[in-house]
Amino acid sequence: MRNNLKEAVTINKWKLSRWMFLSFLFLLALTGINSTMIRSRSDLRKFIINGYSQGTTYQVTYYAADSIVSQKQTDSLLASLDRSVSLYLPTSLICKFNNSARGITIDKPFLVLVKKAMEVNRNTNGCVDITVKPLVDAWGFGVKKPDSFPDAARVKSILKNVGPDKIWLQGHFLHKRYPQVQIDLNGIAQGYAADLLGNLLESRHIYNYMTEIGGELRIRGHKPNGDPFKVGIEAVDGNDIMPSPLRKTITPGDGAVTTSGNYRKHLEAGGKQISHIMDPKTGYPIQNEMISVTVWAKDAITADGYDNGFMTMGLKQTLLFLARRTDMGAYIIYKKTDGAITDTVTNGFKGYQPN
Amino acid sequence: MERRNFVKSAGLLAGGALLTNLDAFAAKADAGVIKIGVIGCGDRGKGIMQLLNQLPDKFKITAVCDVLDFRLTEARSLSKGEPYRSYTDHRQLLDDKNIDAVVVAVPLNMHYAVAIDVLKAGKHLYLEKTMTYNIPQALELVKLAKERPRQVVQIGHQYRYSPLYYRVKEMIAKGYLGDISQIDCRWDRNGNWRRPVPDPSLERQINWRMYKEYSGGLVAELLSHQIDFINWAFDTHPQEVFATGGIDVFNDGRETFDNVQVLLRYEGKHSMVGNFGATCGNAHDGYLFKIKGTLGTVSLLTDEGIFYPEKKLLNNKELVDGVTGATRIVWNKEGGSPILPERTKDGTWYAFNEFYKSVQSQSLPDSNVITGARTAISVHLANAALYGKKPMLWTEEYNVG
Repeated sequence: MRNNLKEAVTINKWKLSRWMFLSFLFLLALTGINSTMIRSRSDLRKFIINGYSQGTTYQVTYYAADSIVSQKQTDSLLASLDRSVSLYLPTSLICKFNNSARGITIDKPFLVLVKKAMEVNRNTNGCVDITVKPLVDAWGFGVKKPDSFPDAARVKSILKNVGPDKIWLQGHFLHKRYPQVQIDLNGIAQGYAADLLGNLLESRHIYNYMTEIGGELRIRGHKPNGDPFKVGIEAVDGNDIMPSPLRKTITPGDGAVTTSGNYRKHLEAGGKQISHIMDPKTGYPIQNEMISVTVWAKDAITADGYDNGFMTMGLKQTLLFLARRTDMGAYIIYKKTDGAITDTVTNGFKGYQPN
Repeated sequence: MERRNFVKSAGLLAGGALLTNLDAFAAKADAGVIKIGVIGCGDRGKGIMQLLNQLPDKFKITAVCDVLDFRLTEARSLSKGEPYRSYTDHRQLLDDKNIDAVVVAVPLNMHYAVAIDVLKAGKHLYLEKTMTYNIPQALELVKLAKERPRQVVQIGHQYRYSPLYYRVKEMIAKGYLGDISQIDCRWDRNGNWRRPVPDPSLERQINWRMYKEYSGGLVAELLSHQIDFINWAFDTHPQEVFATGGIDVFNDGRETFDNVQVLLRYEGKHSMVGNFGATCGNAHDGYLFKIKGTLGTVSLLTDEGIFYPEKKLLNNKELVDGVTGATRIVWNKEGGSPILPERTKDGTWYAFNEFYKSVQSQSLPDSNVITGARTAISVHLANAALYGKKPMLWTEEYNVG
């Protein structure tokens, strides 16, 4: 009995001390909340993550009280997207789809991208088409390099496998009409990656950030002192060794900015540049006055989804397409008929001040 | 201007196999196929023969020469058409009036004697590097070549014929690297650097690179390429030469060092320290070639190169929070940019296309007897420092051309 009694006392003591400890924690938590509540914006610190993914660099800048999101998290998020839609990863879902006879079941990010791509395809009257992959490969911009450019007959035969009617969705199953049908999401996946990085930050209650991958950006909020995020638009000389000064600086506010340009990735033949952007309707690389299109939209998957399409549409059609829109806008660098390089901007392009 | 055009077309070709149908040199094909005799059919000689056979519109091998019978047999087996005439005495090959140009790929100690004979026989000469075994021979060969301006003399520093190396020379000239002060080079292997010997009596003939009587060792056979590139790209030569080394890995009867380190001091527009090393005892670095300036570093392999801007170069980006643009391809996590979009072909391919052009147009090749002499002298000063255990200085009399 004595022993039992002693035991009971001990337990009570322990209970008491536990109660005190919990109260202490509670108080601590209260203080913590208070300090967070009274903390001014200037207590926010700037965190920058620089990484490497999808064959290019990415950068995440955010303002928070602490380094809530780490490089490990951003790397892993992007690696996971690669496992879905990277053509450079032979084991990716997209490669499985391309090698399949009839199609495969795809995962959520893949599905989001395909649905968006189909929507953009419809809205651009087919100027953006993810089934262009066989053309991209044939013209020497794929993972494997061919020995020569395709002739007219070859282009014609490839075009049989290109077009919006060649793929369709049934739930999570992406069908293809012929085994040779292949898709390429490279034109839109980076924008989506910038969105996903933004979503990751927002899931940790970070609302002042800029995410960038391969020159595609997603922005929300502003700097602690109220200044907006500033975005530079690159000069179009494509010189990575000795970069020219930025062509423009814009402050677009919340949303996304992406760029599609001919100036960095192209081949040359007979003194002419061969663009890496394919016209899905003709089967040939685009040849028009467009040098670069920077698109603003509410999210980066949308901006990135359209930027290649505007490159394909050309100046006149793009200006027509965007004329009355406020949910999307473009800054366009193009070549005039006399060869001079100039630029123009549509109404919906946010944060642009003429020089 | 001519140089720029060449670089442009070579750059185009480097763009990949895609563009072979646009071969900028093809237009001149009907101007004539150069008939070639090859003196020295070891690994290098045979390698060159295989390349020449890939350029049938430019070159036709008609005769081969080697002092070793089994080498001649191997060389003859490379013929796809008419059998090659074969000789064991190079003077007999040189008597052949049907030969326009001669490739010399013999051990270093014989370069001079054979080269002199080739020039005196009135033929164009493609002489493997290093140009000569010693300094007096280099100066003599310059003299003789100058007396025979109609004959092309090209020295086999083939790597710098790649469009990549031309581009780096251009980047240096345009100041992309800023003020350059340091050069780091290695050419390492983990192995004895020997060739198999079918009969022990042939040891010295086959493994001539092991013996001082025939060879300048690792400096002459490997580091000479990088030493040559620096001389050419900067239009300079070392003023002071320091070296150390030894037989540290393979004490197998060899005389030339298997572990060497050469320190070269350059003065001029860019005053630089060049650090050139080679070992047979570690392969981790392999081929390493870095040129370092105040604005950036160029890191080169033989067929690809990366430019790393100095961090302070990126500061102008600090004015903005992000930059939008067409996707920039980077090759590695350190943020370097590729100097050329694709890997280049083997340097020998570019070197012989240039040799063809020089012979057809009777123009001076970029790797000529003057630059060859400058490099040969640099190499010999390095070896003199290495084996003589004392610093060496470049003197007035070495200034050729």
